[in-house]
Amino acid sequence: MIRFESVAFRYPGAARPALRDVTLTLPEASFTVVYGPSGAGKSTLLRSLNGLVPHFSGGTVSGRIEVAGLDPVRVGPERMCWQVGFVFQDPEAQFVMDRVEDEIAFALENAALPVPEMRERVAEVLDLLGLMELRRRSLASLSGGEKQRVAIAAALALRPGILVLDEPTSQLDPESAEDVLQALTRLNAGAGLTIVLAEHRLERVLSFAHRLIHIPAGGTEVLCGSPRDVLAQTPLVPPVTALGKALGWSPLPVTVAEGQPFARRAAAKLEGARVPVDEHTGGEASGYLQVEALEAGYGTRPVLRGVSLNLVPGEVVVLMGRNGSGKSTLLKALVGLVRPQEGHILLQGHDTRGVPVAELCRQIAYLPQDPNALLFADTVAEELAITLRNHGISTQHAPLAPEELLARLGLSDKADAYPRDLSVGERQRVALAAIMVTRPDVVLLDEPTRGLDYEAKGKLLALIRSWRAQRLAVLLVTHDVELAAAAADRVVMMEDGRIVAEGSAHSILGEDSAHAPRDDSTGAQSFAPQTVQLFPRRGWLTVDEALAHLAVPVNLAAEPPA
Amino acid sequence: MTHPVRWFVWIAIASVATMLTRNPLYQVILFGIGLLLIDSLRAMQFPEQSGDGIRESGLPFSPLRFALFAVPAGALFNGLTSPFGDTIIARLPTSIPYLGGPITAEAVAYGAINGLILATLFAVFAVLNLAVPVRDLIGYLPRAFYPVAVVSAIAVTFVPSIKRQFVQVREAQAVRGHQMRGLHDWFPLFMPVLVGGLERAMQMAETMTARGFAARDRDEAARAAPITQLMSVLGMALVLAGGVLRLIPGWTIGSPFLLFGGMGLMGSAIWYAGRSVRFTRYHRPQWTRFDTVTVVAAGAALVPLLLWPISRDYNPYPLLSWPQFDVRIGATLLGLMVPVFLLPTRKDDTTRTFSTQRSSDINDQV
Repeated sequence: MIRFESVAFRYPGAARPALRDVTLTLPEASFTVVYGPSGAGKSTLLRSLNGLVPHFSGGTVSGRIEVAGLDPVRVGPERMCWQVGFVFQDPEAQFVMDRVEDEIAFALENAALPVPEMRERVAEVLDLLGLMELRRRSLASLSGGEKQRVAIAAALALRPGILVLDEPTSQLDPESAEDVLQALTRLNAGAGLTIVLAEHRLERVLSFAHRLIHIPAGGTEVLCGSPRDVLAQTPLVPPVTALGKALGWSPLPVTVAEGQPFARRAAAKLEGARVPVDEHTGGEASGYLQVEALEAGYGTRPVLRGVSLNLVPGEVVVLMGRNGSGKSTLLKALVGLVRPQEGHILLQGHDTRGVPVAELCRQIAYLPQDPNALLFADTVAEELAITLRNHGISTQHAPLAPEELLARLGLSDKADAYPRDLSVGERQRVALAAIMVTRPDVVLLDEPTRGLDYEAKGKLLALIRSWRAQRLAVLLVTHDVELAAAAADRVVMMEDGRIVAEGSAHSILGEDSAHAPRDDSTGAQSFAPQTVQLFPRRGWLTVDEALAHLAVPVNLAAEPPA
Repeated sequence: MTHPVRWFVWIAIASVATMLTRNPLYQVILFGIGLLLIDSLRAMQFPEQSGDGIRESGLPFSPLRFALFAVPAGALFNGLTSPFGDTIIARLPTSIPYLGGPITAEAVAYGAINGLILATLFAVFAVLNLAVPVRDLIGYLPRAFYPVAVVSAIAVTFVPSIKRQFVQVREAQAVRGHQMRGLHDWFPLFMPVLVGGLERAMQMAETMTARGFAARDRDEAARAAPITQLMSVLGMALVLAGGVLRLIPGWTIGSPFLLFGGMGLMGSAIWYAGRSVRFTRYHRPQWTRFDTVTVVAAGAALVPLLLWPISRDYNPYPLLSWPQFDVRIGATLLGLMVPVFLLPTRKDDTTRTFSTQRSSDINDQV
């Protein structure tokens, strides 16, 4: 049992409290999802469950917290670790050891358990998470999903009754995320583990959740209840709920399974409405940026094996595929950070081999996965000025006036702000401004929705659409199928360093796609957006498309997610 | 399986030997031994890699590359800043502040030796990085003072992650057109790496805390606190007194006793405080005769350096001369090379799991 009574918390030196008057109760063996905008206080709430807040962070707490019969504020994390296992957002950043087995045993060593008991517990969690075969492996050699499962196993080694996870699937492809969530469901249903999980992509997790906590910006008026009750009161909801709200479905569906009966009835009224599938398969013969039979990798290890791709102005291409399939390597190769071993990359018909990265990046903007790596200046405006200076361009002669660019990105009032003090979404837009100020013709985005809430994702989508309108070529790497469905003109699927499918978003993300990966057990398309799952074989990918065909004005719908 | 204590002893002796002598000939031997051992360890752990595999072996950069930077840098710095020595090889105008005046061969040689000593120490600690798994480094950390224990644990896991982060930041800055042209161009790399490193350190400290690292028995810790504090203060006072005595003619004989006594007392304080932190080890390495041979051979390498200081010491001032070479010292220094011949041939041999542990490991509590 977890109970908060009028809990408020303020970080040291903070002007505003991170949590205000939070009152909630979570029963044993429940599966709870916590969501809300970035910076609303989700992580603070999670960390207060095991005493990291305030023992590690400092700050002042008022009200009463009770977790498994203990007060974390009083007993601290060293005692709470027996009751609460904690999994942080980035598994790599939390690994202390270098091997799977040692990592799991770490908490047991700290608890001074005898070796035979440690042996028993390590075997138990390895088995529970399906990691037995990986026990001797180096952590560096694991895939993203495997690392996340090891992190969960390490948190469970002390057999806590509560498992807390901070955005555990944010870096995972849909299939790996499903694996992790299935593992959590088994723990919840089979072992009676109480799970509290923070997540932005509700569409991924709501089918597993019993309860939903919504923390709005500012940490005020926290809602806690059944997912249906909470989503009915909040504006930012997953696609199936957005459709339900727009079409007046009752009871309001929160999962695809709940929405399917309504969707079948709604679709039955239509006579075979189907969007004509654009069989556009990939760029014109002579693209702005052409990749021909590209092979590249790190050292002697090949990653890309014969990749060919065209990017043309005014087109958004979404690159999808499982973790480790070579998507990021392809982006790096396009800007010269990874050298081609075979094949060619042609920019406006000229081979880029030997062209310095700096020169390429005047025409090709590349946003890496972690935008923080780009930011180091004292102000946002200075970040832009530095890029211009690097390219030998004065601010007065900038191809795109910095003030105008900041205005377009909604950062006009942040020009003098310290970039690292901004929210996740704002930092990402500052990084975008820093790479776009040379007015490139091609934009490459690597997983830009990591850590973004629905609102920030909506802004990013609007930005991508505006670039398409300006005739920029956009290549977007993402695991977010809803964003892909909303943004893509063309989808390219990669697997094991090769392009295995390429075509219009409808043909690749649709239910009857022959190319997209499928779940081994159910056969369902792993990369299908919720709208496709609700209206199979209709050719609708987004809430807007579905509503347009169901003859409901789009503006009646709650704001759809990205 | 090699015992981590074997490596701790080897590294301690190799470091003392490196710092005891300024003779460049012995330094070259020590540096060569370090490189040979690194290469053997790398070949054992990364058998699939080719010659340039040091970059892939968990080291931030190759010790040889570090030496190629440190030796000329040391020579240049000392050559420009130290005007002493008889063999003048060039002169800078005296109007240049700090640097003006003669540049002597002796100062250049002295600086180059400084660089070589640094490179040898780097190689010796690179051996530690490669030879001892993270679990053993963490396992042998004293848990006595919580913040120190956490910081130390973060430090031992820091090198590979900071290297990854540096590459990430370098790439991110390159796509903004950043190029390395001068010293000021390091700033865009340094700041994100520093901030990211601090963020990662915080995250690591948080995760270790959440998993009970260095968690103390509060009652026992409260009981131990006054005694620990008293021992620490007394230890520091003795060390201070020992240091002062060294400066007073006629009293110096008592200085080592006070210094060692003080250090012993401080070490005991750490041990005593650590008793309130209980932990066990999942893996417990066994001491073998190979470990004994390594330690004995390394210890023997140190003896001649202590016995024959005349050959050990080398000073290029006031007139540059060829350093002496005592074959006995040179030969015994090769004893530090013994681990090369005793390393297991496969990576798997370095890992032993609980299945081969003895029952006496069960209550391995500190």
